[in-house]
Amino acid sequence: MSRPTASPASGSPFTGTGDALRFALKRDRLLLPLCVLGLIGWVGLYVASYSGLYGTQADLNSLYQSVTGNPALVAMVGPTDGLRSLGGATAWETLPVVSVISAIFAMFVVVRHTRAEEEDGRSELLLAAGSGRLATLTATVVITAGALLLAAVGWYVVFLATGYEADSSLLLVAAILGVGLVFTGTTAICVQVTAKARTARGLVGIVIGLAYFLRALGDTGPDALAWLSPLGWAEKTKPFYDDQWWPLILPVGTTILTVAFALWLLERRDIGSGLIQPRPGPARAHPSLLHPLGFSLRVQRGSIIGWTYLLFVYGFAIGAVGNNIEGILESSTSLTAAFASASDNIVDSYFASIFTVLALMASGFAIGGVLRPHSEETHDRAALLMAGPLGKVRWALGHVLIAYVASAMMMALLGLGLGLGLGVVTGDFGELGTLVASGFAQAPAIWLTASLAVLLFGISSRASGAAWGLLVAFVVVWSIASFGDLPDWIVDLSPFSHIPAVPAVPLDATPLWIMTALSAVFTTAGMLLWRRRDLL
Amino acid sequence: MSAVIEVDGLVKDFGSTRALDGLDLTVEQGQVHGFLGPNGSGKSTTIRVLLGLIKASGGSARLFGQDPWKNAVTLHRRLAYVPGDVNLWPNLTGGETIDMLGSLRGGLDPKRRQDLIDRFELDLTKKASTYSKGNRQKVALIAALATDAELFIFDEPTSGLDPLKEAVFQECVKEITGEGHTILLSSHILGQVEHLADTLTIINSGKTVESGSIEDLRRLSHETSDPNQPASLEQLFLQVYEPK
Repeated sequence: MSRPTASPASGSPFTGTGDALRFALKRDRLLLPLCVLGLIGWVGLYVASYSGLYGTQADLNSLYQSVTGNPALVAMVGPTDGLRSLGGATAWETLPVVSVISAIFAMFVVVRHTRAEEEDGRSELLLAAGSGRLATLTATVVITAGALLLAAVGWYVVFLATGYEADSSLLLVAAILGVGLVFTGTTAICVQVTAKARTARGLVGIVIGLAYFLRALGDTGPDALAWLSPLGWAEKTKPFYDDQWWPLILPVGTTILTVAFALWLLERRDIGSGLIQPRPGPARAHPSLLHPLGFSLRVQRGSIIGWTYLLFVYGFAIGAVGNNIEGILESSTSLTAAFASASDNIVDSYFASIFTVLALMASGFAIGGVLRPHSEETHDRAALLMAGPLGKVRWALGHVLIAYVASAMMMALLGLGLGLGLGVVTGDFGELGTLVASGFAQAPAIWLTASLAVLLFGISSRASGAAWGLLVAFVVVWSIASFGDLPDWIVDLSPFSHIPAVPAVPLDATPLWIMTALSAVFTTAGMLLWRRRDLL
Repeated sequence: MSAVIEVDGLVKDFGSTRALDGLDLTVEQGQVHGFLGPNGSGKSTTIRVLLGLIKASGGSARLFGQDPWKNAVTLHRRLAYVPGDVNLWPNLTGGETIDMLGSLRGGLDPKRRQDLIDRFELDLTKKASTYSKGNRQKVALIAALATDAELFIFDEPTSGLDPLKEAVFQECVKEITGEGHTILLSSHILGQVEHLADTLTIINSGKTVESGSIEDLRRLSHETSDPNQPASLEQLFLQVYEPK
């Protein structure tokens, strides 16, 4: 860079951190402030909806009555001990979901400025221009932490302005900030391990999933497991009912250790490669590669296998826990009669909400899959194929259909995992078919979301990225609608609001057919537009 | 002789930027046609229009007498293309990529494939993510040269290749020119164009500046400079672009 901040002769690995910082901030001058504002506004919406919902102590008592001791909700959200106050209820509902979103946000920012830059060969330019080896990573950690801190300050202001108790509010936002920081450090390590940005994000995603799962297991079983999870640490601060500040030591210490370890790894590895080196492969192509569809399948194979495996294992684990929930419900005498009589339904309701959450997650896979032609286009690989006798639509539609089939298959396998997990523990596999069908029933909402991505891709290459914003909007709608209060018309905008809550209710196929038909319409429109537009 | 490529008054706008501004280009069957111009003059844009990857804003472009935008798939059966900046699928090996690209055109002649691999000395078992620029270029060159296409479109095909492999490329082109193939060669290596091409089009700022056989262009330049010395392509090129 032209103006090194440190003395040019110093040769420290941190030389140029200031320039890297300015450079990254300049690059993200719009995106980062928008994300931070989005994070603050989202929590603002939550908080606003609670004050309306739980305005009186009677409202709070009835919430407490309806959820206390429900292990399904404890597993999904967290312990319900603090629900007697508005603050406690708010903390219970916001802390887990905002923490996970903060972790995902940290993951995207860190990967974008480190491994993605390195993969595209841009970081070499900075390094060759005298920037220290550790400058970019250091600057990225600072920026990510800064953005998270700004969001936390924003949340704190939102809580204070709404009249929440100051100390507890501070503890709540600090606990969430802690999760974001831990995953900033975790991502910093993951980007050293893999040579590709996509794989690095997958790796961090697995760690976040694991943290969530350990927290859920710990809250419904052996408490020690929750202490292994950064999400568990956040929960253990118990804001608004038993303010505990000392668990914050854990995220602070972990953040310092993980960032230090990432810097240590970075100083020792080759630029451009990960810790895992690619191995030589076959000199001849497998026959399956010699068909355009087979080739597209190969391009998507890694992510299909990864996601399917993840959903199946997750389903199995949830299924096994689901049985535990049933057991607790049956043996419990403290539950109200109404609650007990509906016990079957409670397990099924729990499964239904699991299906929705994971369908939203699987939409991430589906959008990534249908947008493969877009990423092939931006990486300048599409022209090599399109210059051959392969039709634009035939090629792109191949990718789209692979993503549609794979997302439906992985949802069905999620149902299978649930059913098997439940069956292995109870010895009763009777629900297997219903659960597989319930998983499959989520597919139309995933298709509809992905087909909107196809439409955007058809409009222009630049518009394609907006599909991710759409998914985020659906996640926000779901998360607010499931706890708080949103106008019906907004809830109705999300396809995921129209999937019947199977297996808790009988399957009504009408909305599924409508959404499938709409997906077909959007996909066709996207393909027609794509045929008419220039390749990037 | 019939024209394989006929471009007439071609215009291409990207938003408010005019990349091609009435460009003409004619390539007859069996010719090796050099396509020269400074960076950003519109060579790659012209080639992308000819490949039907982007749509002309005005004028006409014909490939084998047909519209390349409307008949892309059928026309592509008859041509092979090597871009100047080859990007490959990081997880596939060079060998897998060559076979996959070849399969689009119904498979490669195994003998010819092996011959080219030997001559370009490419390690087929390496993943594309570990290839250097020159090696990625070799993958696309082998996949193209091993086909029996009627038309080869090369857009700076040897960028990143070492001089020995560049000589191999020239040999390969010489071998196929005898067989009636047509070649459009865009290149900044003037020696390469001089060595291979029969005819030439020189463009600047999206417009054709000179076009004709190399001999004619040389004679033209003869009259304007030293009459005793035959102009080299480099002199010709500089003469066209040097500020008067």
